[in-house]
Amino acid sequence: MDETAELAAFRAEVRDFALTHCPPEIRAVVAANGKLGRKHWAPWQRILHAHGWGAPSWPREYGGTGWDQRRRHIFDEVLAECDCPPQYHHGLRHIGPVLIEFGTAAQKARFLPGILNGEEWWCQGYSEPGAGSDLASLKTRAVRDGDDYVVNGQKLWTSHAHEADWMYTLVRTNTEVKRQEGITMLLIPLSTPGIRVREVRTIDSWHHVNEVFLEDVRVPAANRIGEENKGWTYGKFLLDRERLGGANVAPAFRFLERCRELVARQLAGPAHALKREQLEYRLLLAEAELRGARELGKAAVDAVMAGRPLGLMPSELKLSTADTVQRIGAIALDAVGERVATRFRPVDGSGPNAEVEDIEWVQNFMYLRAKTIFGGSNEVQKNVVAKQLFGM
Amino acid sequence: MAFEPKPMLPGDTFDAARRFAEASALKLARLHDPAARAAELATQWAAVLELGWAGTLVPEACGGAEGTLLDLAALAEGAGSAGLALPLAATCAVAPTLLAGQDALLADLAAGRLQPCIVLTGLSAEAGRLSGRAVGVETPPAPSHALVAAGEALYLLDLAGIGFTRHERIDGRLTLDLEVQGVPATLLHADAAALIRRARDLGALLTCVEAVAAMGTLIQQTIGYLLARQQFGAALASFQALRHRVAEMYVAYRNLTGLVQAALAEPSWQNIAFAKLRLGEAGRFVAEQAIQVHGGMGMTEELPASRLARRVLMAEFEYGDRHAQAARLLAA
Ligand SMILES: Cc1cc2nc3c(=O)[nH]c(=O)nc-3n(C[C@H](O)[C@H](O)[C@H](O)COP(=O)(O)OP(=O)(O)OC[C@H]3O[C@@H](n4cnc5c(N)ncnc54)[C@H](O)[C@@H]3O)c2cc1C
Repeated sequence: MDETAELAAFRAEVRDFALTHCPPEIRAVVAANGKLGRKHWAPWQRILHAHGWGAPSWPREYGGTGWDQRRRHIFDEVLAECDCPPQYHHGLRHIGPVLIEFGTAAQKARFLPGILNGEEWWCQGYSEPGAGSDLASLKTRAVRDGDDYVVNGQKLWTSHAHEADWMYTLVRTNTEVKRQEGITMLLIPLSTPGIRVREVRTIDSWHHVNEVFLEDVRVPAANRIGEENKGWTYGKFLLDRERLGGANVAPAFRFLERCRELVARQLAGPAHALKREQLEYRLLLAEAELRGARELGKAAVDAVMAGRPLGLMPSELKLSTADTVQRIGAIALDAVGERVATRFRPVDGSGPNAEVEDIEWVQNFMYLRAKTIFGGSNEVQKNVVAKQLFGM
Repeated sequence: MAFEPKPMLPGDTFDAARRFAEASALKLARLHDPAARAAELATQWAAVLELGWAGTLVPEACGGAEGTLLDLAALAEGAGSAGLALPLAATCAVAPTLLAGQDALLADLAAGRLQPCIVLTGLSAEAGRLSGRAVGVETPPAPSHALVAAGEALYLLDLAGIGFTRHERIDGRLTLDLEVQGVPATLLHADAAALIRRARDLGALLTCVEAVAAMGTLIQQTIGYLLARQQFGAALASFQALRHRVAEMYVAYRNLTGLVQAALAEPSWQNIAFAKLRLGEAGRFVAEQAIQVHGGMGMTEELPASRLARRVLMAEFEYGDRHAQAARLLAA
C-alpha cells in the first residue's frame, strides 16, 4: 500500500472505531455543545486505552501509539468529526509529559497507568488569589517536616478540582531567593486531610472552577517532581505543553461547522439575508485563521516529536486560536440572538428554560471568554512574543 | 537578537531573487520621475528575462527550466521580501499556465520574445474580434501582447499598433489601460474556462507568497525602527502598547504563512482562496499597523517600510480580493 492509501485506511479505521466504540450518549453531549466532565471523559479514555490509543502524544515506551504527526492529526480530526470528546488534558497533556521528562521511575510507575486508563483524575493548582499572570508570586507555602512537606495556602480557579483525585501544584519552598528559584512542584491527593474545595460559579453559571484551601496538608516528599526549588522549570515546561493544546484545532473546526449549520438553520429566508451573509462571511474569516493555525500546529507537533526547541510556537498557537474560537462563539450568539439570550438557564439544565433549542450557544459564548484568560492570558502571550521579537 | 524572518523556501533561488530585489529597490528609491522609474524598471526587467525567470515553469523542450511550482515560489518569495516591482506572478506563473500546450508561444515566452500582459476581465469577443475596456492591467515595461480571457475563450492580442495608456500602481508597478473596438485577435482556446481559473489561482498563490515575504520584512523593519527611535527618554520598543501591536502583526503573519505553506503543498483552489482571503485581512492589518507605529515617518514615501506596506496593500487586489474569494467559497 502506498502512503496515501495507508493514511486513508487509517482514517477509516479511526472513524469506524469512534462510531462503534464511543458511547452515543457521550457523543450526543459533544454534538449539542454540552459541558463535559469526568463522567464523560473517563469512560472514553478507558475505551481508547483498551484499544492501545490512550496516549497518542506520548513516547511508545510509556504507552504511546508511535504515530507520526500526520496520523496524530488524522486521529484528532476524525474524533472531532465523530463528536467524540477531546481527551482530558490535565493528565495526558500536562502532568503526563512532566512525569515522563522529570519523574522518577517510581513516580512514572505509580502515576502514568492511572492517566492512561482514565482511572485517576488530575487538576492544576497553579493560580492563587494573588498570583495570576504573575504566577511566580505564588505564596502557598510548603515546609519540610521529616519525610513530608506541610502545605498551607490557597489555590484559585482550580478547574475540575471537585471531581479530581490529584492536584499537581506549585508551592513556595524558599522565600529567601529570587522568586522563581523558591518554587517546588508537588503532587497532592485531594483526599488528604486539610484540603477543602469550594465551588466558584463562572459567568456561564457552570461549576467548573474552584477555590482550594490547604491547611496543614501533609504531602510525602516522594510526591515531589524533580528537585526542590526547581519547580518553576517543570511548571513552565508544563505550561508550554498546555499552550500546545491549540495544536489540536480539530474540535475548533467541528465547532465552526456546528455554528455554520446553526446560521443556515436559524437565518434561512430573505428576511435574514443581510445578517446571514455577514455571519457566513465572518465564519469564512474564522475558518481561514483556523486553517493557518492548523499548519502552525502541525509544525509544533513535528518539533515536539523531533525534540526541537519550541521557541514561540506555543504562544503563536494560543494567539492564533483563542480569539478565533471566541469569534465563532460570538457569531453563534449573533445567530441565536434575542431568542435565546432571553432564556438563560444554569448549565446543569435545570429550571424552566431547559428545553429551549440552541440554548447552549449563549453559555458557550460566555465560557469562551476564558480562552484568552487562562493558560497565560493573551496579553501575557504578547509579552512573551514581543520579548523574543525585540530581543529585549 | 531582534527578529529575522525565516523563509518558507530557503536556498540559492531565494537568496538570488532576494539580492536582485534588494538592489532593485535601492535604485528605484532614488527615482521619483515616472519616466525615469519606468526606464529603470525596463532595465531590470531585461535582466530578469536574461536570468530566465520567465521560463521557470516552461518545459525544457521549449527552452524553459521545467521547474516546479516550488522553484517558482522560492523566486517569488525572495523577490517579494524586498517588494520587487515587476510582474513575476503574471509572467512566470499565469502566462505559462494559460499557454499550456502551445509550444511555440511557450518558447517565445521563455526567450523573452513574447512579453504579455494578462487581461482577465473587461474585454469580450465576437467573431474573433475583441472589444471593451480593461483598466489597471499589470504589465511588463514593454508589453508585446495581451493574453485575453474573453468569456470562456482565450485570445492572443498583438499590441503592435494598439494604443494604451500607462500608469503606476500604489506599489510602484507598471499598469496599462486598454480600450479596443472590434480588433482582430488570435483564438488560442475556445473552451479555456478551467485553464483561466487555474491560471488565476496560481497568480493568486504567487501573490500570496510575495506578500507574506514582504510582510516578514515589513515586521523586521518595524521592529528595527522601534528599537532605534527614542521618545520620552526611552526606545519606543519599550512601550507595551507598541510591543503588543507588533506581536499581533507577527501572529497574523505567521498564521498567513501557515495558509500559504498549505496552499503550496497542495495548491487546490480552496486552499488558495483561503490564503488569499486571509491575506486580505492579515496583510491589511500588518500594513496599517506598520504605518501607524512608524508615526509621521510611516507616512513618507522615502521609508522602505512604507513602500513595502503599499506592496502588501496592493497584493490583496490581485487575482481576486477577499470578497471575491469569499464569494467563491460561499458559492461552492
Ligand atoms: C475558566 C478558567 C479556568 C482556569 N483554570 C485554571 C486551572 O485549572 N488551574 C490554574 O492554576 N489556573 C486556572 N485558571 C487561572 C488562569 O490561569 C488565570 O486566570 C490567568 O493566569 C490570569 O490570572 P488572573 O486571573 O489573576 O488575572 P490577572 O493576572 O489579574 O490579569 C488581569 C488582566 O490584566 C492583564 N495583565 C496581567 N499582567 C499583564 C502584563 N504584564 N501586561 C499586560 N497585561 C497584563 C491580563 O491579561 C488580564 O487581562 C483558570 C481561569 C479561568 C478563567
